Amino acid sequence: MTSSLAASEFKTLLDVAVDAVVIIDHRGVIETFNRAAERLFGYTAAEAIGANVNLLMPEPDRSQHDGHIARYIASGVPHIIGIGRDVIARRKDGGVFPVSLAVGRIPDSAPPRFVGFMHDLTARHEAAEERQRMQQRMARVSHLATMGEMAAAIAHEINQPLAAISNYAIACERFLEAPEPDLAEVHGAMRQIAGQALRAGEIIRRVRSLVRTHEPHRELADINELVRGVSALTESDARLHGVRLTLELADEPPRAAVDGIQIQQVLLNLIHNAIEALAGAAAGERNVTVRTGRSGAGDIEIAVIDTGPGVDPAIAQRIFDAFCTTKQQGTGLGLAISRSIIQAHRGRLEYRPAAPHGACFVVTLPDTLENAP
Amino acid sequence: MSGRDRPAIVHVVDDDEAVCSSLRLLLKSRGIPAASHASAEDFLAKYDSEEPGCLVLDVRMPGMSGLELQDELNRRGAIIPVIFITGHGDVPMAVEAMQHGAADFLQKPFRDQDLTDRIQQALVADHRNREQLREKDAIQARLASLSPREMQVLRLVTLGKSNKVIAGDLGVSQRTVEIHRAHLMEKMAAASLAQLVRMTMIGNE
Repeated sequence: MTSSLAASEFKTLLDVAVDAVVIIDHRGVIETFNRAAERLFGYTAAEAIGANVNLLMPEPDRSQHDGHIARYIASGVPHIIGIGRDVIARRKDGGVFPVSLAVGRIPDSAPPRFVGFMHDLTARHEAAEERQRMQQRMARVSHLATMGEMAAAIAHEINQPLAAISNYAIACERFLEAPEPDLAEVHGAMRQIAGQALRAGEIIRRVRSLVRTHEPHRELADINELVRGVSALTESDARLHGVRLTLELADEPPRAAVDGIQIQQVLLNLIHNAIEALAGAAAGERNVTVRTGRSGAGDIEIAVIDTGPGVDPAIAQRIFDAFCTTKQQGTGLGLAISRSIIQAHRGRLEYRPAAPHGACFVVTLPDTLENAP
Repeated sequence: MSGRDRPAIVHVVDDDEAVCSSLRLLLKSRGIPAASHASAEDFLAKYDSEEPGCLVLDVRMPGMSGLELQDELNRRGAIIPVIFITGHGDVPMAVEAMQHGAADFLQKPFRDQDLTDRIQQALVADHRNREQLREKDAIQARLASLSPREMQVLRLVTLGKSNKVIAGDLGVSQRTVEIHRAHLMEKMAAASLAQLVRMTMIGNE
């Protein structure tokens, strides 16, 4: 092909190319350096040609590159040739940036010569970082929102035993003021007081495990225990709406390296949604089931299943989109945030219709035990 | 006259078992007989409209809510006074309850003195209501015992007409009117014309 191509045509071809093109000889000396390469690296062709290509690399690649070429020529085993990879490149001003590099050997060249194509990845990397920042921001927002909901639920749950304790204590005082105190009544009331204090303590214990930390923090957690913690906080909500909340937890507790609070936020969101769906539904069985287990592929699955009307098929495709909501007072962020949290855990959050009716949201988390800290 | 001597009972309805039974005990320690019910349905199943008392009701309950129970009692014409207990932020519900005739409401957490004060007031109101109902029942029973002619005379007497005018209106002798009048005053147990007028007003409410 090149034989039929005039030298000027070849040069034009190189110079209009969007990607940087650099040709080197068997010692790594630059022979060709196109316009895009000049723009990308800041060297002129005159400066680059004749210099070692390791000029375009930061350490440690810079001092190892000659060795890579020699090894390839000696062994014939390609290290990067024909494969291509993302590497870090170095500009004339010393700045480094990500590029995708593809290297080929020029056919029939002896000693061998090599051509490299480099595409700037800076924009793509920035987008990914921005996406990650956005996810963290959303997780923080959702944390604040669910903290508000949780605070109300916690206040109610703790107020009940406190109110009972107060009533029992006042009753005891009165009974003891009587000329002939009914000690059996007092005794019974004291036992109730102790029981209600334990009930309040148990709620606080659960809450403490939820709000211990605000920083995203992954550690090995028992998924069953996370589910139990959330269910304790949704019980009064469920009871209020006449909803029966059932836990079907795997016998063998699934363990994964997760941010427990974030996972609980997701579950809290899914259970709240389920209860709301049932509250608005016509009469019938009102059950929410949270089930933990493993998929056929060995991944950890947490399913939140309700017996409500299910998601309207017309919007099923969009429910995970931000600002898609069917609730009058919803922000439409709950499921979007939940999905981004689960995706940040390299997992999936999916919707499936439940049989015979209702909604089933499944969180799938990879079994991270092997690469857990 | 049923219920005249029956003791008043405070019915506490709350889905939280501990809250419910502790309130019952608290009232008992104050010498106020109380019964606890875990749901509105439980209460309705046992409710005896002849029994004096009052109802202490949690607004938020699973199944039939406090407001729904109030509506049901209104539908049945029950006169039992209802004191609502509301949680934090349930003010709109409390307003609705008051508009539907609740006797009072208390916001959690409340002092037990506030609750017992309101219960005492509700029991007094219930007693008064029942007295009035009993009086009305008694008057209606007496009115029902009058003969048609006595009824006619009663109507004309309470309009302020003299025996002579009534005799003319009914085409009977003045003496006959006097006899009817004496009978109906006796049957109605009225000591004066003024008392008779008041009774007929209550009886025709």
